[in-house]
Amino acid sequence: MTTVLKAEDLRKQFGELTAVDNVSIEIDDGNITSIIGPNGAGKTTFYNLLTGVLQPTTGSIWLRSGVEDDLADVTDAEPHQVAQAGLSRSYQITNIFEGLTVRENVRVARISHEGTRLDFRSRATGDESVEADVEELLDLTGLTHIADTPCDTLSHGEKRTVEIALALAIEPNVFLMDEPTAGMNPTEVAEIVSLIRELDADLDTTFVVTEHNMDVVTDISDRIVVLAEGAILADGTPEDVLTDERVTEAYLGSDSA
Amino acid sequence: MSATGIGGRVSQFGSAVAEGWTRERFGLIGAVALVLITFGPPFQVYLFTDFLVVALFALGFNLLYGYTGLLSFGHGLFYAGGAYGIAIVLRDLGPIIADIVGAGISPLVTFVVGGVVGLVLVVVVAVPVGWLSVRLEEIYFALITLAFGMLGYSLIIQDPAGLTNGTDGVIVLLGTVDLGGTSIRIGGRRLYYVISAVTVVAATYGVWRVVNSPFGTVCKAIRESPDRAGALGINVRHHRWMTFIISAAIVGIAGVLRAGLASVASPGLTHWSTSAIAVIATVIGGATYFYGPIVGAFIFLYIRWAISRFPTLEAYWELFFGVLLIAVVLFFKQGAVGGLYLLRDRLFGEGDIGGANGGGGGAFDAGSQVTTPPDEEAKSSNGDVRTDRGDNS
Ligand SMILES: Nc1ncnc2c1ncn2[C@@H]1O[C@H](COP(=O)(O)OP(=O)(O)O)[C@@H](O)[C@H]1O
Ligand SMILES: [Mg+2]
Repeated sequence: MTTVLKAEDLRKQFGELTAVDNVSIEIDDGNITSIIGPNGAGKTTFYNLLTGVLQPTTGSIWLRSGVEDDLADVTDAEPHQVAQAGLSRSYQITNIFEGLTVRENVRVARISHEGTRLDFRSRATGDESVEADVEELLDLTGLTHIADTPCDTLSHGEKRTVEIALALAIEPNVFLMDEPTAGMNPTEVAEIVSLIRELDADLDTTFVVTEHNMDVVTDISDRIVVLAEGAILADGTPEDVLTDERVTEAYLGSDSA
Repeated sequence: MSATGIGGRVSQFGSAVAEGWTRERFGLIGAVALVLITFGPPFQVYLFTDFLVVALFALGFNLLYGYTGLLSFGHGLFYAGGAYGIAIVLRDLGPIIADIVGAGISPLVTFVVGGVVGLVLVVVVAVPVGWLSVRLEEIYFALITLAFGMLGYSLIIQDPAGLTNGTDGVIVLLGTVDLGGTSIRIGGRRLYYVISAVTVVAATYGVWRVVNSPFGTVCKAIRESPDRAGALGINVRHHRWMTFIISAAIVGIAGVLRAGLASVASPGLTHWSTSAIAVIATVIGGATYFYGPIVGAFIFLYIRWAISRFPTLEAYWELFFGVLLIAVVLFFKQGAVGGLYLLRDRLFGEGDIGGANGGGGGAFDAGSQVTTPPDEEAKSSNGDVRTDRGDNS
């Protein structure tokens, strides 16, 4: 196992509020890590720091740079640089290109990945290898049957799946998912969980998931990190963490979503 | 496609025309119309040239607005840039060029050199102006571009370098080419129409290629969600900057043509009220469609002409446009082109001959449509790139 993502003493202050409080964590490949914690615990802020959307008050962020084991410092990188360095994400509120079709969505991501963003002379649909990759991704995520549907007409669950396809299209080392089952009905939850398991088995990408639904967490996690008020409360295997007294205390009453 | 030669393409075009209301058939009708106009009454030739120039102005503007989601209120700056570029070359370099290439052909050479200089000037201005402007978004972007346009207006009027001749502007004399007995006036209405038509068609094709390229696809993605685009590795600010420069260059070409048509490069070209013409034409035609700005420019100029035929109404033509604009914004958010689609769907049944997003039989394919109006995008996406919209649940 190698470390693909490392945060060191990461801290984010919003005025008086410490949203992320000296978090140090190493994410290894070959694991699905879940980050759990009550609402407002700092999970999304932690992701925003990792992906360059927010600048940390203090601390540093490291990403595995290539095939080698060494890590590159991306603390000051902008979001697009972090993405190019191999860190992809989905948002708590689905964030896709609503006005475009499913296929166009995935094509944009592939164009970005292939580095043809500034090519204004070719046809967008003219690159056969890009088109083949797009079809493969649609197939992988089970979206082929709605490939030509404009995204603003899709169901919530379908949109979430499109976002997963987008995030994976840039072939990330690490994929940070922010509450992938939020707002889904039980059928959709079951579908997305089995999709995540399949993708984790098929791809080299390392999955990190924040999640409210404890059934999902116990189902998919190899490791659970508990955040409370911005700090790490517990970190370990599901058996250890879920029987930890401090964790059950933090959860009782304060979070029921 | 790429393997087929010219002959293959021509026969493909022929069968496409034979089959129905394809884009090819519209193209053919358009080409025939463009040729026929050449033989129309002089004033109609002039009016149509005017329309083509404004159409290109609006089309260039809409690359940034409808396709990338940035509303510029300062594109008059680039319209003026093209116009002053060619006007100053004609005035100051005409004699020098005549010395080099000889008096007979020199007006043509000067015209071409002036056009190129105008275009280069616009790009040189657009690089820093765009670089600064794309640091802002939405209303702030609109305001900074407005400010740059008005800055250009003051500079042209103040004329610190003694180049722009203040409020009077620079007279544009295109001259007459003399080829051993035959003399051809470049500024003659019919010839100038032909020059404009060829240029506008070529530039329109260029814009069409851009919006259908990987670059244009990324533009649409940025319009839909800048955050998402960034999270996929797209440098949103840089991409907007590049789009800004291309958009300005297209508008600059329109400005070059404007100077020759109006026989003057005047400061009013960079006034905000000129920038607003691109906005109005685009909104009337439909910012969400590739051809929207062209249709909008047509409506704008021909309604203005129709009104001008009634002297009692003429004083009120701006009022009339105000009412028209209100009607479009209230009832036809998709503009005239959107209205035409609606009408077609009513008449022929939805999706029957290929919906706007659907089958290949449609007159306009999916690639030529921009799907979400920018104003809706503004509502749904978070302004600040470095702010997470997936937050505060
Ligand atoms: N941009 C921001 N500005 C100020 N406070 C913020 C911002 N983003 C998040 N917060 C605050 O930081 C804390 C952590 O929020 P968040 O990371 O969204 O938690 P979670 O994702 O675990 O529910 C909350 O108290 C929230 O109000
Ligand atoms: Mg959150």
